[in-house]
Amino acid sequence: MSGNILEVAGLHKHFGGLHVMCDVNFAMEEGEQSAIIGPNGAGKSTFMNLLTGYHRPDAGKVVFGGEDITGLLPHKVARRGISRAFQVSSIFGRMTVGENVRAAVHAQMRATFRLFAPARSLGVEETGRVLELCGIEPKRDLMAGELAQGDKKRLELAIALAGKPRLLFLDEPTAGMSIEEARSTMELVDRLNRELGLTVLFTEHDMGIVFNHARKLTLMHRGEIVVQGTPEEVRANEVAQKVYLGEHHA
Amino acid sequence: MSAPSPHHPGWLARLRAGDGLGWPVAILMSVLFLLVPLLPGEYWTQVGTEILILGLFAMSFNLLYGYMGQISFGHAAFFGVGAYATAMLFTALKTPAGAIGVPEFLLSLLVGPPVAALAALFIGFFCVRLTGIYFAMLTLAFGEMLFYIVFSWYSFTKGDDGIQGLLPPDFFQDSANFYYFTLAIVALALFVMWRITESPFGSALRTLRDNQRRAAFLGTNVKMHMLANFVIAGAFAGLAGALWGPFSRSVNPGLLGWGESGIAVFMTLIGGAGAFIGPIVGSVIYTMLQAVVKMYTVYWPLTIGSVILLIVLFAPGGILGIIERRMRAARAGNQANGGDPAAGPSAAEAQP
Repeated sequence: MSGNILEVAGLHKHFGGLHVMCDVNFAMEEGEQSAIIGPNGAGKSTFMNLLTGYHRPDAGKVVFGGEDITGLLPHKVARRGISRAFQVSSIFGRMTVGENVRAAVHAQMRATFRLFAPARSLGVEETGRVLELCGIEPKRDLMAGELAQGDKKRLELAIALAGKPRLLFLDEPTAGMSIEEARSTMELVDRLNRELGLTVLFTEHDMGIVFNHARKLTLMHRGEIVVQGTPEEVRANEVAQKVYLGEHHA
Repeated sequence: MSAPSPHHPGWLARLRAGDGLGWPVAILMSVLFLLVPLLPGEYWTQVGTEILILGLFAMSFNLLYGYMGQISFGHAAFFGVGAYATAMLFTALKTPAGAIGVPEFLLSLLVGPPVAALAALFIGFFCVRLTGIYFAMLTLAFGEMLFYIVFSWYSFTKGDDGIQGLLPPDFFQDSANFYYFTLAIVALALFVMWRITESPFGSALRTLRDNQRRAAFLGTNVKMHMLANFVIAGAFAGLAGALWGPFSRSVNPGLLGWGESGIAVFMTLIGGAGAFIGPIVGSVIYTMLQAVVKMYTVYWPLTIGSVILLIVLFAPGGILGIIERRMRAARAGNQANGGDPAAGPSAAEAQP
């Protein structure tokens, strides 16, 4: 099992009587780029919430980089190198674009308890690099809350990238974007994965994007993993056709 | 439409963000503050001292409200604890005749902030577990508890009699001297506060204000940052309280009560929570208005109530918020480059 950056075994989660995650086993190799697909309510977001400490699993184990991170608080998971971008962009609305990214860089540098160093002279290079990478450098002085939807999503991605994570979760990274924006965003994700070796796991409803940008697919349905494999294998799978792909390719 | 230059110096953006707002206002205010004792009579010098002390108190409150996004209705607890710590040491150090030496006087002032910080550490430990209205209610509850303890513990705090006879050394009995002494301390405190708000810590606080969940997913320990800020705000409130006793020559339990906490809230709302110097601008307006209104009528609460009503309804960003909005409008007009000035910022940003 070595070479796996992430290993999940026997993950369970109930909300009241609702079994939202049922015996999920999952693994990712370092440098992999995969997608989780499934109908709404399949448990994709819950899965990410369980892995990043937002919810505590009822049972099961999450191992990241050889270390058991099951049930750690979100900030501790983040410090170990797992970063996530949200489906509904979750940014700091009353700060500028540059300040958003800089604050994220500081958090990853663990510099946020420095009381007297000027913030604007710390992590400048990394902030500039991330802004440049995500194509929002020209907007660095705009208030984040006033950005157009597509730019908010790009900033969302930029915040997640600040501080060089090892594993990146993207929850519907192109939701609400124009076709052009979606294409350039996914090109960026590919580049991060190929050139910087970042391990990426994303959820997505657009099957075009999924089949073009994921090398491995996991289909979830009602809190369980139904099929796992290469895009071709999943496409050919009968159950997958029935529970999900059918609605898209009927 | 011409794109804004990508390497803009950024000061305008900082003005818009509110952190740097009002360097001109700050400089103007500093000059005016230096000139106050030149006014005839002692009255305005004393009003000036009150503006500074309560302004510092309101500034410390705004570390919680404007920067961390949590409202405290019990912040006066730390103002009062600082005031009582200083008053008690002051009383212990003064001679039976009531005189106190300069070193003893300064020592008694120094004890206010750390004692207030300790109280804030204890109370904050519970409060930072909550946010929003629950945070506000818990601070109110703790504040009233401390008020009641001070109010009823006669053997230790002299209860509702308060502590009298806090007459500072001769030099500081002169209104102008005490004023300049207070001005120096408050200016130093504000400088330290400003450095803190401009630090990575200050920026982390703003991420908590805007989006706590996201901040946690970036690796920020939300509760530890809130607690640290709560203690810092308590210490500065304690410093303001320490100055209050020798200024008014006495302390009383009311200094810990919710009425006193409300003053910090009012001042911050009037001046503007979004700007660093907002609360002290609010203190100038609040305190001077009170000084004037009380000369003519007993209807001060009615007056301040109306002012707050107007601010909340028509200028939710306070006085500095109005200035900021005008500057943004002007900026948007400039950006349109002689185009349609009514197009506003949204039209400019809609361009890809």
